[in-house]
Amino acid sequence: MGLAGLKRRGLAPALAAGGLALLALAFLLGALCVGPLRNFAPAEALRGLAAAGFGTEPLAGSDQTILGWRLLRALAAFAVGGMLALSGALLQGLFGNALASPGVLGVSAGASLGASLVLAAIGGFGAGVLGGLAPSPAWITLGALVGALLVLVPLFLVAGAGGRLSMPSLLLAGMAMNALCAGLLAALQSLTLSDFEVARALFAWSFGTLEDRSRAQVTLALAVLALALAGGLLVARELDLLACGEEDAAALGVNVRAVKLATLLLAALLAACAVAVAGQIGFVGLVVPHLVRLLTRRADHRPLLVLSALAGGTLVLATDVLQRAFLPGIDLRPGVVMALLGAPFFLYLLWAKRGELRTW
Amino acid sequence: MVTGLAARALEFAYPGGAPVLAGVDLALVPGELVFLVGPNGSGKSTLLKLLAGLVAPTRGTVTLCGAALATLGPRARARQLALVPQALRALPDARVADFVGGGRYAHGPRFEPLLGRARPADAAAVARALDEADAGGLAERAVGELSLGQFQRVLVARALAQEAPYLLLDEPTAALDPDHQVRLLLLVERLVAAGRAALVVTHELSLASRFATRAVVLAGGRVVASGGAGEVFRRAVLEPVFGPHLVLAPAPDGSGRNLVVPWPCGGETGTRER
Repeated sequence: MGLAGLKRRGLAPALAAGGLALLALAFLLGALCVGPLRNFAPAEALRGLAAAGFGTEPLAGSDQTILGWRLLRALAAFAVGGMLALSGALLQGLFGNALASPGVLGVSAGASLGASLVLAAIGGFGAGVLGGLAPSPAWITLGALVGALLVLVPLFLVAGAGGRLSMPSLLLAGMAMNALCAGLLAALQSLTLSDFEVARALFAWSFGTLEDRSRAQVTLALAVLALALAGGLLVARELDLLACGEEDAAALGVNVRAVKLATLLLAALLAACAVAVAGQIGFVGLVVPHLVRLLTRRADHRPLLVLSALAGGTLVLATDVLQRAFLPGIDLRPGVVMALLGAPFFLYLLWAKRGELRTW
Repeated sequence: MVTGLAARALEFAYPGGAPVLAGVDLALVPGELVFLVGPNGSGKSTLLKLLAGLVAPTRGTVTLCGAALATLGPRARARQLALVPQALRALPDARVADFVGGGRYAHGPRFEPLLGRARPADAAAVARALDEADAGGLAERAVGELSLGQFQRVLVARALAQEAPYLLLDEPTAALDPDHQVRLLLLVERLVAAGRAALVVTHELSLASRFATRAVVLAGGRVVASGGAGEVFRRAVLEPVFGPHLVLAPAPDGSGRNLVVPWPCGGETGTRER
């Protein structure tokens, strides 16, 4: 297939998956090699990786510890990106709307509010900025999950009236919850302004952070990503059929209500976990499914979900690595970098492909 | 054992709205090709949705072989009833063969295996359905590139891929040229002769008259006439429902059935409120 054929027919999903996986591994290696304190040669980094994974002889001195941190940070970045993109792909399929993303439903905002309340109540991040209280990341994760799920309750009460989930009502109610959570978060931030440490922690949280992620958090994130991907694949065909409308899908035998409920819960869980691990990182959930569709020229959900998870993970990981490689010492938050790079790139893409964009 | 799809004393109203259907009785048994005709807004499409189990009646019941339709799960229902909708909310970005494969959904396992799902039986059923619907040449085309008439045949193919004994078709000929209109109904006639049952909503009264084993006339949400083609496609039945602008004449093929053609009749020239 020549370049022209590729442009018209898109990349085969298996090929795209292979390419993305290679890219992810390359950036993973890059993430291990490049960073503050010192850089490693690739061979050295691989030796350290083997030590971390298989218990072979560790690197000398503090090098192994540095490498361990970088590995956790890279895996956290990949998991968070994957979760956000998968959440976005699920929601876009569910709503049949290209503008849907975890941000719209207010789930991200709810998770952020929940985590921030925990932060404000018991002090800052893993190390515990309020001294001896030392809140574990588990509490923050739990706060984010509870916040995200609490947002869903009024959504279902409003949109679920009459025994069915009305998608426009859900979308509008989500926007309302988004505004409410953002308002509460702003109120919380202004009330805690007098306490510098707490205010700083909340500010850091609001743009996402990948620093000091614990092994437990990273494990949780990767496990949730894998399980949600499996769950997503179980409803992939139903999401394909929903593209022609709920009534049509129902006529073909789809249990529309169950599929909508399951998809929504999966997407909410993913968004909540992503926020719990790394704070709010915008844009990934919205953009990545579009990039995948442009790459493969396909709209069916089985490849879309897998490739979105892979591409989202790779994107956040790559952003993190490239920032460390080219802007060392400037500690920009991943949410900031994603917005600064992602938004212009997406605009460019929309402009460049304006003739080809159809109703995906 | 009661056979067939049957509606009893069906009533339907949207919440807070006026009744759309009132006291509708209707039965469809295998081997029957029933046409449902009536003016715009008479409740034909709503009745079809109720019969397909997509909407629950306000009062009354729909039964399938004696069992209430509401007690069937969506997949079991889709293996019995196939609906050809009038329109879709959105056109999928898919190949025709994959779109028609959607009709196989109810025949697949409840949960798709995580890796791959190609089933030879499905591919064969899709190919058969496409051929039957005179759409075999379209299999590799993108759905979005089809003409309206081609898409209509693809919709029929998807319903055929469901391999359901009961077919419900909502204005299946509306977008077709005369040749394809006749071919489509000949296809439905063949399916019915082979043991299926079909209910067709249409405004093509001549074709309904030609193909109907039975016809039901709906007006204002009520059944106002029902019976064989000879009993229904008469001026005395049609004029009170459709107005005077119809010409009826015996078909030239000696079948004894009437052609029913829209044609200005009487002194009126403009549209009229009914």
